[in-house]
Amino acid sequence: MKFLMITGRTVNQGVTVENKTSPEYAAETSTCFMHEFDMMELGLDDGDTVRVTGPCGDVVMRVSASVEVEMGTVFVPYGPYANHIVAAGTRSTGMPDFKSHMVEIEPTDEAPKLVHELMEDLGGLAYDS
Amino acid sequence: MIVKDAVCPFCGCLCDDIEVEVEGNRVVAVTNACELGMTKFMGEKRMKNPILRDGNRWKDITYDEAIRYAADMLLSAERPLLYGWSGTHGEAQCVGVHMAELIHGVIDNTSSVCHGPSILAIQEVGHPGCTLGVVKNRADLVIYWGSNPIDAHPRHLSRYTRYAEGFFLENAFRDRKVIVVDVRKTETANIADEFIQIKPGGDYAVLSALRAIVQGKVDTIPRTVAGVTRAQLVRVANLCKSAKFGAVYFGLGLTMTQGKYKNIRNAIELISELNRHTKFTISAMRGHYNVYGSNEVNTWMTGYPFGIDFSRGIAFYNPGETTAVDILARKECDAALIVGSDPAAHFPRRCLEHLADIPVVQLDPYPNATTAFCNVQIPVAVTGIDAEGTAYRMDGVPIRTRRVLSTDYLSDEEVLSRMYALMQEAS
Repeated sequence: MKFLMITGRTVNQGVTVENKTSPEYAAETSTCFMHEFDMMELGLDDGDTVRVTGPCGDVVMRVSASVEVEMGTVFVPYGPYANHIVAAGTRSTGMPDFKSHMVEIEPTDEAPKLVHELMEDLGGLAYDS
Repeated sequence: MIVKDAVCPFCGCLCDDIEVEVEGNRVVAVTNACELGMTKFMGEKRMKNPILRDGNRWKDITYDEAIRYAADMLLSAERPLLYGWSGTHGEAQCVGVHMAELIHGVIDNTSSVCHGPSILAIQEVGHPGCTLGVVKNRADLVIYWGSNPIDAHPRHLSRYTRYAEGFFLENAFRDRKVIVVDVRKTETANIADEFIQIKPGGDYAVLSALRAIVQGKVDTIPRTVAGVTRAQLVRVANLCKSAKFGAVYFGLGLTMTQGKYKNIRNAIELISELNRHTKFTISAMRGHYNVYGSNEVNTWMTGYPFGIDFSRGIAFYNPGETTAVDILARKECDAALIVGSDPAAHFPRRCLEHLADIPVVQLDPYPNATTAFCNVQIPVAVTGIDAEGTAYRMDGVPIRTRRVLSTDYLSDEEVLSRMYALMQEAS
């Protein structure tokens, strides 16, 4: 199913933002908040994983039912998971389309990667001491 | 020891009434701060010493070695990018601008992916703003548009709007109306007197409709505009016109959506219309505690607020060309110095792929997502905790952050000054 993906701040993202190697930061920023009717449509329960495909690739996230988002829209906290699929075009403003990407969402059995795994996929090297 | 009136270095509110209890070299308790600020003050897991990527492992190095590495990297680069700057103090930002000029580099700050579009609009039509104190004491109508302060600026509501006392308001909680405009029914929407839910991408149309109504052209408005009924738009326009003093605070819900800076321009022009009827102001909800400061420092030193390119020997500014995301996505820069931000967590993946291909040095107290792309990371003191310096609040008021504990970490300014001195010697 196709959804509009909006990214934004949450308290939990802000609380963990200075500790990006923590599992709490990974859990928060890999959460895909979705309307419960859309979850029913896709056969998803809270905590199930989904593959979210955007213009630049795909990433696995965990869904969470939210009364804040409308049907057809998903909300993902700012962070490396959403940005893994966001396009870099800025339409001559310097600002990517962080709140207006259409994405395809389908259920998956895969688990979300850790932040450092996402970084290593792109050529980085994890630091964990 | 209890430090009173400490300044919180998290968001643009720069709350200056924080009490911090320190035992030895640790913060053990924080009073008055929100959850975001408290977690920052209590932060642990700092990087202990500078690190160097050596093949597929990390090696500890000294500060002298790290600073030398960074200076050499920047001196030998043809098109260096100096990015970040919002999570540090003004004195360090000054050194950054001098450095960029010396090496003919590009210096950009996080506002290019935050309120950069707001600044573009302000450059077109001006900024009818005011300080937070004026809003607290005078505003009887506050509109949060595309912003969710309960999550992003938790004390904005209690210090300045919804739950704040006002000198010129008899009963501020009763007399001050709060309107929230958003595409999501956020927690902030739940505490508003009126919530306007817009269809995503519809902000520009709703702002235009409100402008038309304020101009008396109600008949031109269709039954609904981007999911908002004409009746609600007319009611809100009347609330605005009948307010004694109104204030709009807008967030990234306007800058990151379709229309970007044109949304902000339209919002400012709505405020201009409203000022024909009453007093109204509009301001941005700035994110990082000193992102406003990086715009100020850049502007007074170069004439431009962000995305400044010195490759011509003079300051050149063209957002979309000289901004960090664009330069990285075009694979244009050949070295990057990152200070006080974490682009690997907040930039699109294409930018990260280029960061992986070029030498990168980062100044940051903590390991973060960008660490993975660094050749060298230099841990520094945290401004407002173990370093002091000037920061600008979201309303442009400069506030001196305080040092609440002493550590051996060097501040951003000290590290950058040493780097700059080496670069001056060599050039």
